Amino acid sequence: MKQIIKRSWAEPFKIKMVELLKMTTPAQRKKAMKEAGFNTFLLKSEDVYIDLLTDSGTSAMSDRQWAGMMLGDEAYAGSKNFYHLEEVVKEVYGYKFLVPTHQGRGAEHILSQIMIKKGDVIPGNMYFTTTRLHQELAGGRFEDVIIDIAHDSENEYVFKGDIDLKKLEALIKKHGAGKIPYVCVATTVNMAGGQPVSMKNLKDLRILTKKHGIKIILDMTRVAENAYFVQQREKGYDKKTIKQIVKEICSYTDGATMSAKKDALVNIGGFLAINDWDVFEEARNMVVVYEGLHTYGGLAGRDMEAMAIGIMESVNDDHIKARVGQVIYLGDKMMEYGIPIVKPVGGHGIFVDAKKFLPHIKQDDFPAQTLAAEIYLDSGVRTMERGVVSAGRKANGENYYPKLELVRFTIPRRVYTQAHMDVIAESTARVFERRNKIKGLKMVYEPKYLRFFQARFEQL
Amino acid sequence: MKTIIEPFRIKSVEPIYFNTKEERTANLKKAHYNPFLIDSKDVLIDLLTDSGTSAMSSLQWAGIMKGDESYAGSPSFYEFKKAVQDITHMPQVIPTHQGRASEKILFSITGGKGKYFLSNTLFDTTRANIEFSGAEGIDLLCEEGKKPTVPAPFKGNMDIDALRKTVIEKGAANIPMVIITVTNNSGGGQPVSMQNIKDARKVCNEYNIPLFIDACRFAENAYFIKLREEGYQNKSVREIANEMFSYADGCTMSAKKDAFANIGGFLAMHSEELALQCRNLLIITEGFPTYGGLAGRDLEAIAIGLNEVLDEHYLQYRIRSIEYLTEKLVAAGVPVMQPGGGHAVYLDAKAFLPHIPVDQYPGQSLVCALYEEGGIRGVEIGSLMFGKYDSYKKLIPAQMELVRLAIPRRVYTQSHIDYVAEVIIEVFNKRNELKGLEITEETPLLRHFTAKLKPVK
Repeated sequence: MKQIIKRSWAEPFKIKMVELLKMTTPAQRKKAMKEAGFNTFLLKSEDVYIDLLTDSGTSAMSDRQWAGMMLGDEAYAGSKNFYHLEEVVKEVYGYKFLVPTHQGRGAEHILSQIMIKKGDVIPGNMYFTTTRLHQELAGGRFEDVIIDIAHDSENEYVFKGDIDLKKLEALIKKHGAGKIPYVCVATTVNMAGGQPVSMKNLKDLRILTKKHGIKIILDMTRVAENAYFVQQREKGYDKKTIKQIVKEICSYTDGATMSAKKDALVNIGGFLAINDWDVFEEARNMVVVYEGLHTYGGLAGRDMEAMAIGIMESVNDDHIKARVGQVIYLGDKMMEYGIPIVKPVGGHGIFVDAKKFLPHIKQDDFPAQTLAAEIYLDSGVRTMERGVVSAGRKANGENYYPKLELVRFTIPRRVYTQAHMDVIAESTARVFERRNKIKGLKMVYEPKYLRFFQARFEQL
Repeated sequence: MKTIIEPFRIKSVEPIYFNTKEERTANLKKAHYNPFLIDSKDVLIDLLTDSGTSAMSSLQWAGIMKGDESYAGSPSFYEFKKAVQDITHMPQVIPTHQGRASEKILFSITGGKGKYFLSNTLFDTTRANIEFSGAEGIDLLCEEGKKPTVPAPFKGNMDIDALRKTVIEKGAANIPMVIITVTNNSGGGQPVSMQNIKDARKVCNEYNIPLFIDACRFAENAYFIKLREEGYQNKSVREIANEMFSYADGCTMSAKKDAFANIGGFLAMHSEELALQCRNLLIITEGFPTYGGLAGRDLEAIAIGLNEVLDEHYLQYRIRSIEYLTEKLVAAGVPVMQPGGGHAVYLDAKAFLPHIPVDQYPGQSLVCALYEEGGIRGVEIGSLMFGKYDSYKKLIPAQMELVRLAIPRRVYTQSHIDYVAEVIIEVFNKRNELKGLEITEETPLLRHFTAKLKPVK
C-alpha cells in the first residue's frame, strides 16, 4: 500500500474570497507566447492559467490582514502602523532598528550604498540577481562561497544552502578582512532551488566572522521556510517552534534585508533591519531620498499593517507545515513521472533541471528558457527561467554560464489547491514525453541590466 | 451663490484621539520642535501634507479588492496605463512606488555635474534628486509669485524672460530639461496659466530643450485655468488637462495627490528611447515595468482616482474649501497667501512674526505654536526646508518664510476647517509671545524631515 503522506499538508485555513481564472486554448497560447517573445515575463497575466512565475507578492492575504488594510493610518509622519511593524520586527526577528522600504530591492539598494566601498568583496551563499547587481553598482564584487554540492542537482544533502567556511577563510586571507564589509547569507537560497542553511553552519560562520570583525547580513526573505527545514532535519530542533528557530537564526547576524512579499504574506513591502546605530542613522537619512520618510519608507500605512500581521502568521507552525508540504507534494508527483528536479525539494518551489530534461539543447540555445515556453504552450502554466539568461554577463561582456540551468515552478502562498498542483505535474509530464522534438531559442533583444526580465527570443 | 456641498457622502470613518494642551507641550518637546517627528495619533487635525492622505472612494476600494498581483503583465497595469494615456496622451507609461522614485530615475539619466534644470519652482524632493545627481536646479518664478499677500490669478507662472536669459547664459546644451510644476507647491499651490506653458514651450522649441511637467496637482491647475483664463470657460477640465500635457515631452507624477491614492506615482513620456533607459533603472530600484514597485491593487486605485479627480463638482468643492479658509483668515487680519492655492493655505510667517529673525526660523516657530494651541500639524516651507549655508556657515535664507496647511482631499469637514481657522486666529492674537528656534542636529540633504531644534533663550 502506498504511504499516506499527501494529506499531511491540508491547509490550516478555509477560502474567504476567490479570483476567477480564464482558460485558454492552445491557439491562444501560441499567439500569446509569440507576442511575448518566448519570455514568460512578458505574458499578460490574463493569458495565464496557473501563475508560478514567482512567490513574490502573490500570496493570498488573510481576513485579518485585510482588516489591517482598513486600519491603515496614512499620516505622512509617525503613522501608528509603523510603530506596530517596528514592534513585530523586534519581537519576531530581534533586530533593534527598522527602516521600511517599498520592497526588498529598496533595502538592498540602501544597504549596499552604505556598507560597500569600491573594491570591496561580498561573499555570499550563491548570487541572487538584484542583490548582486546592487553590490556591483555600489562598487563591490560578489564572491560565491556556497558549498560545492549546492551546484549538483542530484545530491540529496539536506542543507545545500550552507556556506563553505574554508572557501570563506581563503577569501579573507586573500583580500584581508578590511575589504569584506559583510557576508551576505540568504535563507533559503533561491538560486540553488530554495535550499536551506543549517543552524550549525550559521553558528560556525558567526565564530569565524567574529574573529575577523566581519558582519553578517541576512537576506531573510524566506527565513521561516528555512526554519521549517531546521526543525524537520537538524538535531535538537524538533521540539522548538518556528518562531524560536527564526529568532535564533537572526541572533547570529547583524542585520537583514527583507522582501516581505515572500514569507511575510504581503503583496508589497520590505525593510532593512539592523543592530548598528550608525548604519541605521545613515539608512534613515538615505531612505528619505529614495523611498519615503523613514516612518513609511514608500509604503502606504495599510501595507505596513498587513506586513506586521503577515509576519506573525508566517511563523505559525501549522502555516509553514502546510506551505512547504504543498511544495513537497508537487515535487513527489514530478518525481513519480521521472521528471529531473533539484533534490531535495526546496521551500518555495520546484526547480526542474533543464539540462537533464533537454540534454540535446546546448546552454547557448537556452534550454531552461525553452522549457518554460513549452510548458506554457502545453497548459497555460507560467514558470520562470533560472539559468544562463538570468545569470547575465560579466563586466567584460562574456556570458556567465551557471552550472545549474533550471526552470522554477514557484508556488504562491495560500493561493492554489491540490488540484492545481496535479494539473502542473501532469502538464510537465506531457512536455517530458515529447522532449526530443523540442528545439532551442535564440535571443533577439537583450537589455542592459537584469536581462531575463525583458529579453526577447525566437524559436530556432 | 448657494453653499457648495461635498459631492459625496461618508462611507468609513477613522477616529480622532483628543489630547490636552499640556500633553501637546510635552509631545512637542519630545519631538524636538519638529512636527515631522510627532506620532500621528497625537495629532488632531493633520495638515502636514495632502500627499497620500486622501480618502479613497468606495469605487477605489473596490479596485483595491480587484487588484491583480501577478508579477508580470497584470491587467491592473493595463487599466492604469490607459487612464494615464487618456489624460497625457503620452505613449510611454512607467509606474513607480511614488513621485520621488520617478524623479530619481529621470534625473539619474538626464542629470549630472554641469547640468542645470530650470523650473518655475522645484519642490524639495525634486531639488534633492537633481542635486544628488550632481546637477543644479534654478527657480525662475514670476515676480508676482514672490509677493505672498498680493493677489494675482497665475502666481505659479514661470518668468519667461528670465528663462530665455538663463538658457543663453548657461548654454542650451547644459540644460537637460525645463520643468513646470503644476500647481506650484513651494510657491503656495498657485496655478500656472496655459499661456505660460505655451510660452515656455516656445522657448524650449527655439533651443531644442525638452519640457517636462511635474504633474502632481494637474487637475487643480486645470480647474484654475477654467476659472481664470480667457477662452477656457466652456472647455471640460479633461480637455484642458489634455492641452496642458500636449505642450510637454513628458511628466513625472506623484499619484498621492490628484489621483487620491495613498501610494504610487509614474513617469510618462513620448520618447521611446528615454523610456527604455528609464525602465532599465526602474527594474533595479523599483520593480518590473508592469508593476514598478506597486501592488496591483494600487495601480487599480490610481486608474480610478485619475478619472474621479476630473469631475468638476469635486474640483469646485475642493478649490472652494481652500478659499473658504483663506477668506476667514483674511477677515481676521492674518497674513495669508492670496489668493488661496489649490491644495493648501499658506501663512506668511515673516509678516505673522516680524519679531523673529529668519535665522531663528519664524515658520517653524509658528508650526509649533499651531500644534501646541490646537493639535494642528502644518509644515514649514521656508529657511528650514530650503535654507543653505555659505562658506562661513551663515544661513542663506529662502525667498519666503511660509507655513503650509495642506488640506487632505475628501477627509475633513467644514467644522474641522472652522476649528482650524479659530486656532490660527487665537495664535495670531498672542503672536508676540512666540519665540524663535535654533537647530541642534541636522542632515545634509532634506534636513527638515529629521532636524532637531530647541527654543532660543
